[in-house]
Amino acid sequence: MMKYRGLYPFPPSFAKEFPPIAQVVEEHCIACDRCPPICFFDAIVMENRPGHKYSRTAVIINANCTGCGLCFDACPVDAIIWIPDKDGEAKPKTASPLMEDTDL
Amino acid sequence: MSLTTSFLGLTLQSPVMVASGPASHDVNQVRLAEEQHAGAVVLKTACSDKYEHMRFWPRPRYKLLDWDKQMDGRSKVFSLYSYEQGYSGTLEDYWKFIRVSKEHAKVPLIASIFADDAEDWADMAKRVEQSGADAIELDISSPHKPGSLGFETTFVAAIKAVMGAVRFPVLVKLAPSPELLHQCRVAEECGASALTLCNRLRGFDVDIETQRPILHGNFAGVGGPWAKYYTLRHVAEAALVSKIPISGTGGVMSGEDVIKYVLLGATTVQILSVIMVNGWESIARINKEIEEYMQRKGVTSLSEIRGKALQAMTHPEEIIRWSGEPKSGSRNLWKETGEQE
Repeated sequence: MMKYRGLYPFPPSFAKEFPPIAQVVEEHCIACDRCPPICFFDAIVMENRPGHKYSRTAVIINANCTGCGLCFDACPVDAIIWIPDKDGEAKPKTASPLMEDTDL
Repeated sequence: MSLTTSFLGLTLQSPVMVASGPASHDVNQVRLAEEQHAGAVVLKTACSDKYEHMRFWPRPRYKLLDWDKQMDGRSKVFSLYSYEQGYSGTLEDYWKFIRVSKEHAKVPLIASIFADDAEDWADMAKRVEQSGADAIELDISSPHKPGSLGFETTFVAAIKAVMGAVRFPVLVKLAPSPELLHQCRVAEECGASALTLCNRLRGFDVDIETQRPILHGNFAGVGGPWAKYYTLRHVAEAALVSKIPISGTGGVMSGEDVIKYVLLGATTVQILSVIMVNGWESIARINKEIEEYMQRKGVTSLSEIRGKALQAMTHPEEIIRWSGEPKSGSRNLWKETGEQE
């Protein structure tokens, strides 16, 4: 069963507002199937890739990826990398000086 | 035999609730929790407009520590290191989130809010009540700098303001700390309906290769299966002195963990990390494990065993102590020198 059914209607579309940032380097992927189950946002699927060493590879579904970082530590060969934010695309927010760091 | 649990005047079909966080951030997740027979869902914490920056999340915001990559993610002990922020929509989005969820789902919904001014706490609580939530959890344990916004402002004033503004049940969620028991007492005196114990610990980790702090570079919330031991203690301590119900949360991976919380006096138990790493099916699995335990022990309702382990707690004065080995004589002899006493 899916862990998550997509990000609509709440919260507002991450994909539009923020560029997705996880990406699979397909030539490194060993098709071990470990990353799809750890993704809490159903943003990783396995796809057939004829010609790939393992005939399959993990693929990020950009519309679902929130860039949370869970998948990075699920990959045994570090085949998942960042797409860095491009200047102007992300909308960084900084905390007010009143705030200490937090984790809600 | 039934898992049905009475909590804050609500009838929950299970004591297992989804804790506030990334698994209760939108309407579809409420439905998933309901399909898995969760007892209730505590919605993701919404922050007041003053804390608008907390609607934006750093990326990445999680890191799995001690995660055994070779075990297909079946690590028994791991840590979820996170810099999780608030609900990412506006407050209007949040009220709608409550309304839409309430229209479509039967599972009781407990909204969660965070603010600092007493007025904001009260206004937001009112809106939550008007939006149809069954109760509210005040995420009061977050994130003020000690000294800048003091205990009185952030804690007592907030609870009092909310209690004066709404008529539905108010849970107060507290962070683990040496002050916790005192805060439990104060929350109860202020009229809180229940306590949620505890928020996650704040931790820190460093990458020794890059010689820099990991993730976003600052302190982070840290939890995992090991975290239950300190919350079990906090729940027990609070249960011994509180008359209001307790919702325990921290490190729950199995039905056994839920039973432990109940034996120490918790009425409900909130789970989250287990859903994130093992999937939504964890809720139904945990329910089943509780039922199996009840069957094995001949328990028809969890209320029969609630707080039972507290009664068996030993007072330090009663702990039987034996003297260790005598420290005079040979224990004080330096063998190499053969020195005499």
